[in-house]
Amino acid sequence: MTTGAAPRGGWQAAWPYAGALAIALAVLAGLVAALGGNASEALAGVFRAAFGTGAGLGQTLNKTTPLLLGSLAVVLGLRAGVFNIGVDGQIYAGAVAATGAAFLLADVPRAVALPGVLLAGLAGGAAWGLLPGLLRARMGVNEIFVTVMLNFVALFLVEYLSTGPWNDPTAGEAITRAIPPQATLPWLFARAGAHAGVLLALAAAGGVWLLLYRTVFGYELRATGDNPSAALVGGVPVARVVAVALVASGALAGLAGAVEVSGFHYRLILGLSPGYGMMAILIAVLSRRHPLLAVPAALGFAALLVGTDSLQRSVGLPASAVFVVQAALLLVLLAVEGVRRAR
Amino acid sequence: MSWELFADPSLFRLAVAMAVPLVLASAGEVLMERGGILNVAVEGMVTLGAAAAFLAGFATGSTWVGFTAAAAAGVLVASVLAHYAVVWRQEQVTVGLTLYVLCLGLASLLYRVVVGVRLSPPRVETLQPVSLPVLSQVPVLGEVLFRQHALVYLSAAVVAAAHVLLFRTALGLRLRSVGENPVAADTVGVDVFRLRRAAAAAGGALVGLAGASLPFTLTGTFTEGIAGGRGWIALMLVIFGRWTPAGAAGGALLFAYVEALQFKLAMTSRAVPPQFLQMLPYLFAVAVLVRAYRGAQAPGALGKPYHREARA
Repeated sequence: MTTGAAPRGGWQAAWPYAGALAIALAVLAGLVAALGGNASEALAGVFRAAFGTGAGLGQTLNKTTPLLLGSLAVVLGLRAGVFNIGVDGQIYAGAVAATGAAFLLADVPRAVALPGVLLAGLAGGAAWGLLPGLLRARMGVNEIFVTVMLNFVALFLVEYLSTGPWNDPTAGEAITRAIPPQATLPWLFARAGAHAGVLLALAAAGGVWLLLYRTVFGYELRATGDNPSAALVGGVPVARVVAVALVASGALAGLAGAVEVSGFHYRLILGLSPGYGMMAILIAVLSRRHPLLAVPAALGFAALLVGTDSLQRSVGLPASAVFVVQAALLLVLLAVEGVRRAR
Repeated sequence: MSWELFADPSLFRLAVAMAVPLVLASAGEVLMERGGILNVAVEGMVTLGAAAAFLAGFATGSTWVGFTAAAAAGVLVASVLAHYAVVWRQEQVTVGLTLYVLCLGLASLLYRVVVGVRLSPPRVETLQPVSLPVLSQVPVLGEVLFRQHALVYLSAAVVAAAHVLLFRTALGLRLRSVGENPVAADTVGVDVFRLRRAAAAAGGALVGLAGASLPFTLTGTFTEGIAGGRGWIALMLVIFGRWTPAGAAGGALLFAYVEALQFKLAMTSRAVPPQFLQMLPYLFAVAVLVRAYRGAQAPGALGKPYHREARA
């Protein structure tokens, strides 16, 4: 999507984003009006809910975490020329591994238990990225299909664990027993209810940037994504780079799953990811596949998510409406870019 | 467990019925991809088609209105994709994924706006089986193939028609040339842009109908996850079937058999937790995909925008 468009700097580059955001908010207002609500009040409510109160800000930061980690996973894949559509499945795989580790590490101090849980999340997500990575590298099987199919496998695995062996019998729904307290993430702002996961996500953004732009592997990865045949001729082990990129991408998503378990839900639940993986794709495209630009984009999407959550309570806007708003935003942006190109 | 279960005529009958959405969606996708447009929004379009069909059917009480609404929704989304791909030369996978998310959101949003919140989900009437005269009396085959609902027969007709169109008409030859080598097609006077948009619209209608088949033949209701990956699987079947409607339909039957088998096993077997049986079709799809990719040759210009003034 970046090919062909002339690079523009400063405000000229910013105005399509502002326009797209305005249109997305107009879509949101229209949806509220269609449900019989007061559109301008609702839009003000979105901002109040996301940024206006300490608790709202805390929720926005909490939602930023999985969105940022997920979009970094997609960015890493895109830079290597692969589409990781399986972020949701990898989030669940990471959450399963993290929950399992938390149960196993019930009797050890936090200094061991918490890193163990987070590492387990990384490993779970990486495991989910391994199969698509290997199939792509060895047999040329398109990773889109394999990652998507594994989403369903992960969902059924979570359903099995949360209703079966790990089920909390007192809850009466598809959730597992709570993880022990020493496996939980500490607070960042306790009064706002913001956990420290967002720091991990920010560190990951910096880490991905360093990896992409300051290491040999990152150079090879970008070369593979930009032009695989040229990279191959230049001596880059293209197949291995792609496989490693998908495994690393899965690991980032898996970390998101671990953070959701250890920072937010304190257990494994069905519905742990309300489509974070799909939003992550949109964020990655929106941020032009750049790990640092993904930070503000993820924050913005998190605010939209928290804001529309409040509309769910006040005017009965369904949770899925946020997909419409976010996708509309990106479609407008792609259209602006397209019109410029066709001119 | 007896092995007769795997060859039970009622299992084959269910498999044929369950193949319908896969056959229709993959036939639609074959038309689009033969013209050079890669549509990764199929899963979303199937979901939106299911919602449109269910809601229109629910509001008017007419199955026909439901099918029409689903086809219209499919045409609309596919035309948007085609416009981005053909006129604006945007990357098709990016636009397709965005439309996929948009369709999923729209589907449940529309459902919420029309139906509201209710204690029990409303239902539409599902299609009744129609026995074909004489043919339905043939032993075994009659039960499996000719005592099905109307969409099964329609799907068979669609596959035949798409095959004839693609491989036995001048229009089909032009469409394939547009997907294979648009420069050459343009040189001899074929309107690349118009043909691509037309193929997208026709394919979109079929994908929408695939969505409509879900509430009208399988569930009677609409839920957010109604497509259950069938759109993605239809996309794989195109590769499996080497970009032919008949090949994709064959794959659809194979896949639907595994899906139907999973249903039957879940009903008869208590030994394996049902969730592991439910994973089976998806794991099977991955296994089939590995096989399908061997020697697969996609249309030459698939996913590539055609720019008249660009140098090759």
